[in-house]
Amino acid sequence: MTFTIVARCPKSGQVGIGIATYSICVGLYCNGLSGNVGATMTQAFVNQGNNPLALRLLAQGYSPDHVMAELKANDPNHEYRQIAVIDRLGRLAAYSGPKNRGWAGHVTGEGYVSMGNVLAGKPVVDAIAKAYEDSANLSFERRLLAAIEAGRDAGGQVGNDGHLTERSAAVMVYGDYDHAEIDLRVDLHDKAIEELRRAFEEYELYRGYYKERSKNPKDAMPQYAFVQSLAKGKKEAAQ
Amino acid sequence: MTFSLIGRCTRTGRLGLGITTYSLAVGGRCEGVAANVGVCKTQAFPNRTNDPLGIKLLAQGYLPAEVMNKFATNDTEHSYRQIAIMDRDGKIAAHTGPGCRGWAGHKEAADCVAFGNGLLGPQVLDGMIAGFLENPGDALEYRLMRAIEGGRDAGGQGPADAHRTERSAAIKVVDRRDFPDVDVRVDVHETAVEELRRVLEEFKLYEEFYRGRDTDPSKAIPQDVFVKQLDARRARA
Repeated sequence: MTFTIVARCPKSGQVGIGIATYSICVGLYCNGLSGNVGATMTQAFVNQGNNPLALRLLAQGYSPDHVMAELKANDPNHEYRQIAVIDRLGRLAAYSGPKNRGWAGHVTGEGYVSMGNVLAGKPVVDAIAKAYEDSANLSFERRLLAAIEAGRDAGGQVGNDGHLTERSAAVMVYGDYDHAEIDLRVDLHDKAIEELRRAFEEYELYRGYYKERSKNPKDAMPQYAFVQSLAKGKKEAAQ
Repeated sequence: MTFSLIGRCTRTGRLGLGITTYSLAVGGRCEGVAANVGVCKTQAFPNRTNDPLGIKLLAQGYLPAEVMNKFATNDTEHSYRQIAIMDRDGKIAAHTGPGCRGWAGHKEAADCVAFGNGLLGPQVLDGMIAGFLENPGDALEYRLMRAIEGGRDAGGQGPADAHRTERSAAIKVVDRRDFPDVDVRVDVHETAVEELRRVLEEFKLYEEFYRGRDTDPSKAIPQDVFVKQLDARRARA
């Protein structure tokens, strides 16, 4: 019970993931992103060894199809996994194992995989794909967020007793560096996607400040002063 | 302004980082925790490239002190960074640059190093270390949680007349495998340490269930069923 977009931005070459699920702390499992290498995610019944292995195989130059075959050969429970693999060129492989529960499936497009399990149905993954494709004018991280919001709005997850809310969510993007461009999580919340949107919009206000503070520390204003200037700006905007 | 503690469990060899700060989403800037390698965290005015570099250098076999020397020569703004490094054996190197603002410092104790800046004073580091050492038999994630709470309770961030709350917090623990054992986060919250305690306690209830789903999926019960059982156990308790 999870819905996810894994993608490579055709404009920037960045790789990213947007994910939401009934499980808690899902961001813990999203360790399959590496700039100039690719993006991978294993979900449903997660095999936590898959993401690090798949990234190493991509870095060695194997194609996503080959990486998928390796993951299959290496896992006696492969049929329980749901997996996306995208390389730095945007080539991809996707797999929804026959032993995923509930409605499970994926759709793919140019450089992205929309996938999920224990969902209301195919409209959820279709909505994720459509929102991603329709938002090409937005930043990559905003496209990922819009995609999972669309998945939620199309019905999200459905368990034995009906709709299941999103209790954790994450959005992550890797670009040129060994560290994330953005790595935002909500680990435990009754409306994790709404909370992720709130955290994202707040963090966006700070991003430039944090970046500049690292590069040019001696001229950085204290963070509290920055926060006050933000509050002043919000107040003026409201007037 | 941030206070952090890197710790090692001598029984298991697990390594981890506990961190909290006034800044948002600090857990998204903690890449330097690597199983069977070590922990490296740069804060204050962080150089984001330090931690991945530090992990690579530790993996090559350099000592923490030598990794720190390399950071100093690789970064024109090294004097603004606060850095702590621990390798898998528990060897430590720490640096609090003179450019760090407010009260800033670091302190080593058994199997840990506490470090922070923009703090009320050295009592915050002492509070963290006391929290970490309180129950050495506990799992490392709980010891790290107690460390963060100890720092908060000792006054945390900001001078006495201008306390700053913790707005984000994280705990990351690695064991032998190359993904984290525990990785819990609070990114934007008014009392992030309290919220992190809530997330950690909840995660610990699910930890075994999630692991079983991975290693033995054919026997895994659906999660909504698991949650119902959990709620029933809570109702009885």
